[in-house]
Amino acid sequence: MPSRTSKSGLNNPDASLTIRKGGGLPLPYRPRKKFWRKLEPWLYLAPMLIAILFVFGYPLVSLIILSFQRRLSGVNTFVGLTNYKALFKDDVFLQAVKNNLMLVITVPIMVFIALILAVFLFERIRGWQLYRTTLFLPYLLPITVVGLIFSYIFQLSGVLNEFLNLIGLNFLALDWLGSTRYALPTLMFVIIWKEVGFGVVLFLARLMSVEEELFDAAKIDGANWWQLQWNITVPQLATVIEFFTVVSVITMLSWVFNYVFVMTGGGPGNSTMVTELFVYLMGFRYNQMNIASAVSVLLLLVTGFFIFLELRLRAGTSAAEVS
Amino acid sequence: MKKTFQFLSLLIVISLLAACATPTPPPPAATEAPAATEAPAATQAPAAAEPVKLVIWWWGEQEAPGAQKWMDETIAKFQEANPNVTIEAVLQSTDTLIPAFKSAAAAKEGPDIQYFWGGVWTLEDAWAGSLVPLEDLIPQDELKHYINNFERTWDGKQWGTGWYLSGNPMVFNPDLFTQAGLDPANPPKTWDELKDACTKLNGIGVTPIAGGLKDGWFGGWLFSILARQTHDTEKDFMAASVGEMKFTDPNFAEWWSRLNELKEAGCWNKDINSLDYQQGQDMFVQGKAAMIFGNDTFLKGWADTIGWDKMDVMMVPKYGTGKLADTYIVTAQGMGITSWSKYPKEAAAFLMFMHTPDRLNAWFQDTGVFPADDRFDTNLITQPIMKKIFGWDTSVAGANLENFIPSMLDEQSNFAGVQLLFAGDKTPEELAALAEEVIAKWREQNPDALKNFEIWAK
Repeated sequence: MPSRTSKSGLNNPDASLTIRKGGGLPLPYRPRKKFWRKLEPWLYLAPMLIAILFVFGYPLVSLIILSFQRRLSGVNTFVGLTNYKALFKDDVFLQAVKNNLMLVITVPIMVFIALILAVFLFERIRGWQLYRTTLFLPYLLPITVVGLIFSYIFQLSGVLNEFLNLIGLNFLALDWLGSTRYALPTLMFVIIWKEVGFGVVLFLARLMSVEEELFDAAKIDGANWWQLQWNITVPQLATVIEFFTVVSVITMLSWVFNYVFVMTGGGPGNSTMVTELFVYLMGFRYNQMNIASAVSVLLLLVTGFFIFLELRLRAGTSAAEVS
Repeated sequence: MKKTFQFLSLLIVISLLAACATPTPPPPAATEAPAATEAPAATQAPAAAEPVKLVIWWWGEQEAPGAQKWMDETIAKFQEANPNVTIEAVLQSTDTLIPAFKSAAAAKEGPDIQYFWGGVWTLEDAWAGSLVPLEDLIPQDELKHYINNFERTWDGKQWGTGWYLSGNPMVFNPDLFTQAGLDPANPPKTWDELKDACTKLNGIGVTPIAGGLKDGWFGGWLFSILARQTHDTEKDFMAASVGEMKFTDPNFAEWWSRLNELKEAGCWNKDINSLDYQQGQDMFVQGKAAMIFGNDTFLKGWADTIGWDKMDVMMVPKYGTGKLADTYIVTAQGMGITSWSKYPKEAAAFLMFMHTPDRLNAWFQDTGVFPADDRFDTNLITQPIMKKIFGWDTSVAGANLENFIPSMLDEQSNFAGVQLLFAGDKTPEELAALAEEVIAKWREQNPDALKNFEIWAK
């Protein structure tokens, strides 16, 4: 940058003649224009940013504030970490956390099922397009509808048990939703049934963009089916598997309210309680908005961590691809 | 990414500083009343030049079929008498009734009139500053006619009005009783007779008593129906809620054992834990069960489906000797006026209009449910079963216990506990201990509500 005090500085009327760029016309130094250039994109973004701050930012700040307060003598009073400490002594909350973690365990199962199905569909078996549509259809259905239908199917006297009794498998006709032992696994089944289609479509789309020459070359080299999947398919799908895994984990931690509310209400005996339902009950049934806020903040931090993880993984992958 | 973290950290620091800052102003104190003016006439809103819009959020069609028709007609008549007033009534679902109001209360925006179940279901919101007391809006001469006012009285003030009565008889099918060798004219009165009836009904392949626990509500009913029998007053449960007694005391804990006895005696449908409350009730109407702990608001609807001759009612068989064991559970479902309503006088005028003789009688004729007002024309009751129930309402009425304990105790102990009992996961002793744990937790987490409960319990 030319010095202001030198002959080539701003106050020098001949300054425009001293700066040259690439042999073309000299470019005068204009710091104000540079500033506006930098500011310009933010001005275009400002309306949306203000809207987002208002819609998300204000409630978020209120939520965090509430989580450090408790109603004493009719006034919201700062109590530090009291609400958080109370949570970790609350058996129902701890059960909810445990159940969310159990649901997270279904993610590897879901990823594996989606992967296998995508691989089979990629083999272009007859009718694969119809199968793809059929597999994706549950994902499109509203969760409430799915929950209602399965809550009827899985009743002790429901369709499933009637069928099992009919074919002589009475010992399998269990109280799927009415037993504390089976209610959560039954919920897991329904969630996997509904969510796996998304993974199938993601994996299949990625597989279809993989160069066929890779598979052809491997086959020429004598690779069997398993070796093809392990050495080509899975590495090629790595980024999509990461994405689907992280999204599914976030789903299991913070997007299962509808399933639980419709199918079991958190019962029997809190055996299917999850943190979202706990927040709802605390805030909207028991008038304990402060405790509900504390749980919401914790949930935000945990899901925020996984979102951060996904963004880091994605950034790392992009950097690797560029280099 | 670094900048995102910096931004989030800054947000958290700002929030922490704000949390320590000046607290938000308190809600209106419980003992303050809104500025008093002269009481409005019974059927007309105060003359107002400005147009008035009232919003009512209500529930009740689910419990008293025909309520929607009555509400539409009542609104039309009130608007005709008060041309400057328009009323928008929104029927809530059972699942949204409470959370929708809590959201409205947090925003201080929403209905002018809100439907509430009695007791704690009204008073929790009064304590939160969401309701106004009615003494200066509805004259005492009017209020004294409303039934079960005690369910909405706290700190010497009335925080809502009753609308209709909802009671819990034990309903039975006389035909199935006869088939099982039981005498429908002499239904079970004692606990042993009830268990014996279960054995006989099982013998003819009929479910003795139907229920549905999946959505939890029926667990609360069972608490109210059975736990009362070893007590003389509902105040015992309020006392246990504030720590003056314990839910592990034998007279509080016994009902769990008695419920377990019924379970062990095969009295219940095996799928009770996988059915909703309504599905459980439907089993009786479908003739699949001989008895149900019912609701007298459903009887007219059931009669329309199966006929009055297919059912009869009895008091709940007794195991206990407390005074409450001889009472008929009845509560008054009702309404309250919100503290943010711009038109409390007009809202009060509408509530009083609901209690005019024409509207009281129309309510009974449309729904078959008794209004919560002693000016109701009892000559309209012609059906013998309803006469029997009305006799219980007026001679042996007792409080619905669910209305006198914190809602958190009801759900985390009664709802969840009854499910665990039927799942075989917990013993009666463990469930009594669970109730005591839950109420101790409630006391620790709700110091303000505890204080209000202590005042109420006196």
